[in-house]
Amino acid sequence: MTDSKYFTTTKKGEIFELKAELNSDKKEKKKEAVKKVIASMTVGKDVSALFPDVVNCMQTDNLELKKLVYLYLMNYAKSQPDMAIMAVNTFVKDCEDPNPLIRALAVRTMGCIRVDKITEYLCEPLRKCLKDEDPYVRKTAAVCVAKLHDINAQLVEDQGFLDTLKDLISDSNPMVVANAVAALSEIAESHPSSNLLDLNPQSINKLLTALNECTEWGQIFILDCLANYMPKDDREAQSICERVTPRLSHANSAVVLSAVKVLMKFMEMLSKDLDYYGTLLKKLAPPLVTLLSAEPELQYVALRNINLIVQKRPEILKHEMKVFFVKYNDPIYVKLEKLDIMIRLASQANIAQVLAELKEYATEVDVDFVRKAVRAIGRCAIKVEQSAERCVSTLLDLIQTKVNYVVQEAIVVIKDIFRKYPNKYESVIATLCENLDSLDEPEARAAMIWIVGEYAERIDNADELLESFLEGFHDESTQVQLQLLTAIVKLFLKKPTETQELVQQVLSLATQDSDNPDLRDRGYIYWRLLSTDPVAAKEVVLAEKPLISEETDLIEPTLLDELICYIGTLASVYHKPPSAFVEGSRGVVHKSLPPRTGSSESAESPDAAPSAGQAAEQPAVIPAQGDLLGDLLNLDLGPPVSGPPLAASSVQMGAVDLLGGGLDSLMGDESEGLRSDVGGSPAMGGSGFTAPGPAAPAAMGAPLGSGLGDLFDLTGGVGTLSGSYVAPKTVWLPAMKAKGLEISGTFSRQVGSICMDLVLTNKALQVMSDFAIQFNRNSFGLAPAAPLQVHAPLAPNQSVEISLPLNTVGSVMKMDPLNNLQVAVKNNIDVFYFSTLYPLHILFVEDGKMERQMFLATWKDIPNENEAQFQIKDCSLNADAVSSKLQGSNIFTIAKRNVEGQDMLYQSLKLTNGIWVLAELRIQPSNPSFTLSLKCRAPEVSQYVYQAYDAILKN
Amino acid sequence: MISQLFILSSKGDRLVYRNFRGDGGDDVTDAFYRAVTSLPGDQAPVFMAREGQHFVHVRHGGLYVGATTTADTSPFVLVEFLNRLVTLLREHCGTLSEKSVSVNVALVQELLGEMVDFGYVQTTATEVLRSATHGEPETTKAFSLLDLRSVGLFGAETQQSRVAPGSVTNRPVLPPRGEQGGRREVFVDVVERLTVVIAANGTPLKVDVQGEIRLKSFVPGACELRMGLTEELSVGTEEQCGYGRLPLAAVAFHSSVDLEEFEQERVLRVTPGPGEVTLMRYQLAEDVAVPLPFRLLPSVEWEPAGRLRIHLKLRCDLPPKNHAINVVLQLPLPREASSLAQELSSPEQTAELQGGGRSLRWAIPRCQGGAQLGAVFRVQLPPTPPLGLGPAALTFELPALTVSGLRLRWLRLSAPPGAPPGPPQRWVRHLTHSDSYVVRL
Repeated sequence: MTDSKYFTTTKKGEIFELKAELNSDKKEKKKEAVKKVIASMTVGKDVSALFPDVVNCMQTDNLELKKLVYLYLMNYAKSQPDMAIMAVNTFVKDCEDPNPLIRALAVRTMGCIRVDKITEYLCEPLRKCLKDEDPYVRKTAAVCVAKLHDINAQLVEDQGFLDTLKDLISDSNPMVVANAVAALSEIAESHPSSNLLDLNPQSINKLLTALNECTEWGQIFILDCLANYMPKDDREAQSICERVTPRLSHANSAVVLSAVKVLMKFMEMLSKDLDYYGTLLKKLAPPLVTLLSAEPELQYVALRNINLIVQKRPEILKHEMKVFFVKYNDPIYVKLEKLDIMIRLASQANIAQVLAELKEYATEVDVDFVRKAVRAIGRCAIKVEQSAERCVSTLLDLIQTKVNYVVQEAIVVIKDIFRKYPNKYESVIATLCENLDSLDEPEARAAMIWIVGEYAERIDNADELLESFLEGFHDESTQVQLQLLTAIVKLFLKKPTETQELVQQVLSLATQDSDNPDLRDRGYIYWRLLSTDPVAAKEVVLAEKPLISEETDLIEPTLLDELICYIGTLASVYHKPPSAFVEGSRGVVHKSLPPRTGSSESAESPDAAPSAGQAAEQPAVIPAQGDLLGDLLNLDLGPPVSGPPLAASSVQMGAVDLLGGGLDSLMGDESEGLRSDVGGSPAMGGSGFTAPGPAAPAAMGAPLGSGLGDLFDLTGGVGTLSGSYVAPKTVWLPAMKAKGLEISGTFSRQVGSICMDLVLTNKALQVMSDFAIQFNRNSFGLAPAAPLQVHAPLAPNQSVEISLPLNTVGSVMKMDPLNNLQVAVKNNIDVFYFSTLYPLHILFVEDGKMERQMFLATWKDIPNENEAQFQIKDCSLNADAVSSKLQGSNIFTIAKRNVEGQDMLYQSLKLTNGIWVLAELRIQPSNPSFTLSLKCRAPEVSQYVYQAYDAILKN
Repeated sequence: MISQLFILSSKGDRLVYRNFRGDGGDDVTDAFYRAVTSLPGDQAPVFMAREGQHFVHVRHGGLYVGATTTADTSPFVLVEFLNRLVTLLREHCGTLSEKSVSVNVALVQELLGEMVDFGYVQTTATEVLRSATHGEPETTKAFSLLDLRSVGLFGAETQQSRVAPGSVTNRPVLPPRGEQGGRREVFVDVVERLTVVIAANGTPLKVDVQGEIRLKSFVPGACELRMGLTEELSVGTEEQCGYGRLPLAAVAFHSSVDLEEFEQERVLRVTPGPGEVTLMRYQLAEDVAVPLPFRLLPSVEWEPAGRLRIHLKLRCDLPPKNHAINVVLQLPLPREASSLAQELSSPEQTAELQGGGRSLRWAIPRCQGGAQLGAVFRVQLPPTPPLGLGPAALTFELPALTVSGLRLRWLRLSAPPGAPPGPPQRWVRHLTHSDSYVVRL
């Protein structure tokens, strides 16, 4: 750049020279001098010493010169605020200039000078310019309000600029409207609660009109603003969609994507049966496909967005597989994204084509791409069952190439295929074993060791193979060490006679010579298991593993819904919500998709359920009349019958808790181990931006749990399963209202049976006897499973504790509130009535653990409007503690993930009447408030499930 | 919104820098350059994050044209804007090079001031900018060998092309003010990109044709332009397409194009100001049988001791009056080859090993339609088991030809009143180039 005439070194002499030229009388010379100054400034040289001289050139009719001087001012005013004041007069004068270009230039520049003293002078000119007759000035002034707000928000509010800005939304010039929308949107972001962008059908209509007329960039401001609007019903949503659709064929991809965002969002509100819905789906495909012929940078951004869109609505692009085939000259970042989308779109219909492509890719030159292609083949096998066989044979072909990294990737994915289709493809193990020596990456070594251990009985020399790994045990990575330990233990359990020495060797290596606590702990557990009860050990170590599914690499449904709201923004590139990467308050407002309307379902939302009148009388004692109680009065209160002995009502909670904790940590460890088993699942190969960690496997099923239970039965002799949480007893029926009989009680659930734990106290002066109890019909059919047994008459001032077993086979009637239970108790004196609320968790059954795939499918399947969100406040437990605590009450954690420092627990529970409730619990380490999202086909139970969560977690 | 904007030379020197929102330090350009150059390979990610700032950049003519943002901005806006900026700089400075940018810093700054306000893109339309700016471009006469990349068709991002009047389009669109002179010219390019994958058995797996009609006008003031396209054109896939029709799957027009006569007569009408604009983008329907320009008939023999004998026969299936230029065949080899022996059918062809022996490059400067070229290569590879070879990738340009058959039948210009006498020069150019032409072996 030294050959350019403006670029000479800033020696002292040069500044002087420039100074002289700036003060020259000749206009042309002056202008050339200012240009030189600007050129120096642009490349980062300090020319601030010329400040007064440049400002002197400000008063000129030459617009070009004026612009250059203003540019200089913007750059240096902040470092020389006192000198900048010198320019104020000229600014103010220029704001009155007859030439609109000069007026706009002055107000634009003033807004960019972030000096308080100048800002004060800006208000008056700005007020005038906002009402200027020339649209060019008005549009510049509109942006200037945003500038001023960034410097001094209070000033903008005090001066009433916001109202003027709002008026500009109705301006006749579309560019002014667009800039006003942009400015208001920016200001509104820093005041999330304010109602600045008061969008209503009228203003939306204005925006839509302006949309057709303004520049492409203005269209983007307006579309992005529309995306934040919540139409009142599906008809409005449809009419907006209709008017936005033409933008899809715009040449500017930013316009297209902003339009796609609006459509994707409002589509949520349209009924799927609508013809228009189908039309809209069809219209979305071509613009997305067209984006793939743009420049590679745009293609990349488009692919990241398409990745989200195909996860949300795969139907849009299901026929467009071919456009995602990789071109040899695509940049690597485009290639990797395309591969990802190919897998997402893979289905039985197109799998042959996809596999043929992937096989080609696997022979290309680029190592990263080849690796991902090999993984993709494995993901195909897992996703499309019919293709599994072909995938496996393709992988075997690739292994034959002996290209080191191809072989390693292939082995990692074959392990996943074994997990998905057990006992189907084990015939290939021999081929895999041939490549044992060439594996040098931990993941591949671990995968191979897992395979050897898992199928030890079919591999004749399994012990030799594993022994060969054992030699360099301490040089291996933790992943491999853990895998080796487990594999050798498996081998021992399968072939105990020949491998005793080997297992002892590995156990001592792991427990005595290793510094790694994970490894040591796992070693100790195996050791203890094996020495105490090999049969139990077998049940634990060789327990059946849950199947894996391709869903592991999908984005969380809730995160996906949030990201869909951010289509066409940076969030869609990073696949993270803006709160994760935008600093400050901007953009942290969570967005969510609108609920689908237009059906009667919404009327059944949980809020609408309780009607006011009934809700008021919740826990009160029932008045002693009413038809409802008719059948209660006709009680057949026979004499006490001795039933089966009842379970002891008091559980040694302390002991159980201790044991429970121990068990949990054991299980936690084991599931860690298994996690690395599953580790190689396709998600691992994900791109750099989103690496959803490998989810904990759908944990240890029932067999393992009982295995451990047995084990502890044998060793410790304490064989109690922890029961669910039991609330302290409360008074249900005060003595005053029941002629001296006081009843307090609570509900509990143990080992699958529900109990009502009662304390009857005689506060009267006479002896009570002939007790009997009956329930009115209730929501879940709760009924006493045995008569109320009070063996001896109750003397005055005496209490008796009774545990009444309940079942859920009684007649059902929906109560309000849902968990209300009306009870009648009779004694020799009278019949008394009371009602109580039972905690819902006594209805959570023991087999409420949903299969992982089931869970994901169900979660997706339940419509969004059935989702309810609650806050659990002031709970300081960590995720593991929460999970174990809830497990005690039959709320089962299916998966745990860590997303940006937050723990997400995915849980399921089942009610006695077969209703499934799915939950997502979000725990932030620093925040004592948890967020609980519940999804259920019967949304009216959500509120009570939440109460149960709250009660369990806080006790 | 855009926080900062910068143009850096290939060495990282700051040529243009502008801070629109007053946030972020002035050291961003250094930070950016460090981030870009510290990455392995030359395919830096489009987006990079650093301390709450997000960089986005595109590369043109060796320059880094980049922007930063701190908010959750539309990445499409950022990339589109940068691309648009590059086009505009070409229009105003002639070529985009380190030199032309540094000479025109004042003009570039003035343009940026009009294009972006507080990070919000205001306009990128040439005519609007023309009326709002006052600086004059300084042209650079530089024609160094390094600038060869930018010679040729403006519509096609190809290596070189000697098809069109060369560097005529590499001058500022706007003649200096006050001068009525300058050559009044209009260029219309129909450029098609061909993406083809041919299976090992010779059947085409995928044939994808994307095209653009681009217009670059050097005529000051507005003049109405009408152009007639091939009449056989039909849009949309549902439509019944008879024999000889030319169905397009998707078409997008620039917003300035008047389509009144398009439905009936396939006429586009547009009144362009000076500058460059893409009038129409189209994609050929998938089921159309496009004649493929090249067939490759390979035969590979493994000789003992890791020697590989590759016999390639390349047939050019173009009509005899057409020809292809700059044909390059790239063949990846399974292992690093240590030596190459070649027999080529004509002296102007060349062949060499590239990428440390990982691929074979066979270059043919010119190939007439109907010709058949043969080549025999012997490559020495390290001892390995027989592995797959390829796929072979071809790049080429087909001047004066559109594979789809879409052509401009005629182009009429009606000058506005008061224009100097004599019609402006009109240039219509057709070109097809290979985007990705892959033959599997």
